[in-house]
Amino acid sequence: MRIELIVWTLAVVFYAVVGALYWLVDGDPAGASLLLMGTFLGGLVAGWIWDWRRHHPEPRAQDRVDADAADEAGIVGVFPTASLRPLALAVGMTAVALGVVLGSWMLIAGVFIVASQVALLTRDADR
Amino acid sequence: MGGGAAGSDGGRRAVTTLDPPRPAGEPPPGDGIIDIDPFVQPGPHEHVGLPRTFLGWLTTTDHKAIGVAYAVTAITFLLIGGLLAGIMRLELAEPGMQFLDEQTYNSLFTIHGSVMVFLFAVPFGFALANYLVPLQIGAPDLAFPRLNALSYWLYLFGGLTMLAGFLADGGAAAFGWTAYPPLSGPTGSPGLGGDFWIMSVILTGTSGTLSAVNVITTVTMMRAPGMTMFRMPILTWNLYLTSFMVLVAFPVLTGALMMLEADRRFGTHFFETMEGGSPILYQHLFWFFGHPEVYIVALPFFGVVTEIFPVFARKPVFGYKGLVLATLAIAALSTSVWAHHMFTTGQIVLSFFAATSLLIAVPTGVKVFTWLGTMWGGQLSFAPPMLFALGFLVTFVAGGITGIMLASPTLDFHLHDTYFVVAHFHYVMGGTVVFALFAAIYFWWPKVTGRKLGARLGQWHFGLTFVGFNLTFFVMHLLGRDGMPRRVADYPDVGNVAVLNRIATIGAAVLFVSVIVFGVNVVRTLRGPRTEGADPWGGNSLEWATSSPPAAHNFSWLPPIRSERPVFDFRWMHHPDVSAIGVDQAWRARADHDARWVPLHPRSEDDELQAETQPDAETGAVPADGEDATNRERGDEP
Repeated sequence: MRIELIVWTLAVVFYAVVGALYWLVDGDPAGASLLLMGTFLGGLVAGWIWDWRRHHPEPRAQDRVDADAADEAGIVGVFPTASLRPLALAVGMTAVALGVVLGSWMLIAGVFIVASQVALLTRDADR
Repeated sequence: MGGGAAGSDGGRRAVTTLDPPRPAGEPPPGDGIIDIDPFVQPGPHEHVGLPRTFLGWLTTTDHKAIGVAYAVTAITFLLIGGLLAGIMRLELAEPGMQFLDEQTYNSLFTIHGSVMVFLFAVPFGFALANYLVPLQIGAPDLAFPRLNALSYWLYLFGGLTMLAGFLADGGAAAFGWTAYPPLSGPTGSPGLGGDFWIMSVILTGTSGTLSAVNVITTVTMMRAPGMTMFRMPILTWNLYLTSFMVLVAFPVLTGALMMLEADRRFGTHFFETMEGGSPILYQHLFWFFGHPEVYIVALPFFGVVTEIFPVFARKPVFGYKGLVLATLAIAALSTSVWAHHMFTTGQIVLSFFAATSLLIAVPTGVKVFTWLGTMWGGQLSFAPPMLFALGFLVTFVAGGITGIMLASPTLDFHLHDTYFVVAHFHYVMGGTVVFALFAAIYFWWPKVTGRKLGARLGQWHFGLTFVGFNLTFFVMHLLGRDGMPRRVADYPDVGNVAVLNRIATIGAAVLFVSVIVFGVNVVRTLRGPRTEGADPWGGNSLEWATSSPPAAHNFSWLPPIRSERPVFDFRWMHHPDVSAIGVDQAWRARADHDARWVPLHPRSEDDELQAETQPDAETGAVPADGEDATNRERGDEP
């Protein structure tokens, strides 16, 4: 995770420096706040990786130059099978978006679809 | 590693590292180049290829199927966008109004630009990310497969919403793909088409953000053992950093458009000068998205050609770390140059944005020189993927140079909103994307379908695209220099303007023919049999270490990863001076390990049943029978 940490920390540093520079040179609050948000975004991920490294001091097999398949024997992941939920959820989200334009009946239907599908998705994940 | 699915349980399926039978550990026979095909046969129960039923497509969470769906949808939108452009070129072929009215023309260029940018160029990058990132890093799927399916469906519905604008009362949006207020505000564009456009872009923007999260998580957490960050293929690096830029840029656009929609629907005044709002604020928000967007579109395709040049030059990529650093620099700088689109507003500090815009030419130049360095002194061959990659290089450098010209405010004041900008933009976004897109299609077509596209038709396709593209867009530089403004449906017959426009229209017709040639090639190939093995081009990265098309969850086996081109190293393992250091040691260590190995997760009940009732089913998939017997015994031990 060292390289990942460096990459995201670089993002923090870059946005902080450019944001400060931009604020000094231009004084435009819109751009400066966008760059500030960029700093937070980098910081969010960098902070998560930093914390992860604190809890996992050993380098992972994917970070070691001498690792091979045997170093990760066992279950490498658990993946969902096919599901209609993503499609239904997307239909609901589209209905919400178009409901803003076309009328509240569509918006309400969309909210209902989204809520039900999210609930069903979380139930799926429990099993 | 990878491989046998140890039973599915409810909504989920565990992927274990149970090795299918294979020649364990021993160096492959002979001392020549090793053929990878015998190592990558999928297991007897594994589903190979794409979903076969309609319901299968609707419900799939397989990253490969979703990647193909993304690609097919994106190319459909490319054809639709191209069709709209063709109609505009016909209108512009002669001075005077031919068969359109101004409002329709405005709708056409708006939807043409929006379709090409939001529905074709960006999503095709995600098609590449979906299909190739897990394959290139040795992962079974993306980190969140259902989120991935959701991203695709949002993209599709968002796209359909945009096209639905044509059916809306008052026609489709007609305020340009940048949607500047006040034109896009409630007074400027009262029709429903504008609302459809805004909602469409919000939906596709959300889809892009979700995909970006998926790609970043996958790359961070799911690489194969030994696949360190600096051994990832450049394409994966580029898609990783593209996803970073998407996270920075897309939410800003979504927010800006929500504010715009609130202005239109709910009576807010974010962007209305009369009420104390600021249209310049919209421009800041839009271009804070809009300029990273150019690189969000371009970086995946930079990655594509970086995969292709080494394979067809028979050399490793020149300056790997330099390329990674250049990409990092581009990703960072691209988010600090946005206001160079706003030089003529008079509301920004010109020097800051001129400086950053010129600065970004440096890492871009580094990339161009590393591509040239990769080809320099190599054993070049000119299969269609390489031809298109070279076409990419030419158009990208041409577009990049006009970009440097436009980065200078003094020139930009003269050229702003002329056809010069249209030409620059189409060289950078259009040419770069289209050439690298076809390079990618020709290159990975054997992996996706198990067939190669015809080389002869591929050459014709390339030739016609190259000639047609340059005919269409080169003359636009001259039109812009002569002062022809963009986004106009008509022009006077003065100077060379009429002649140059006619040349551009002829070029568009040539492009149309080139697409037909490509279509013929695709249909002819798909009607033929599957002929290609795992590694038809002599590739470098891990996607060539699985069958064509890959099985569900991708890998039954991985070569040792000791450099950024593990498949190449494995192929040349008998030649220690060519292969990366440590490959043959790793391979021998596997033999020691396999001798001591007791599988953690025994085969699933299906596998056991199959092994008992049809003992030959496994042997059929295995190259060396003797090794297979020992492996099966070990599988039975616990």
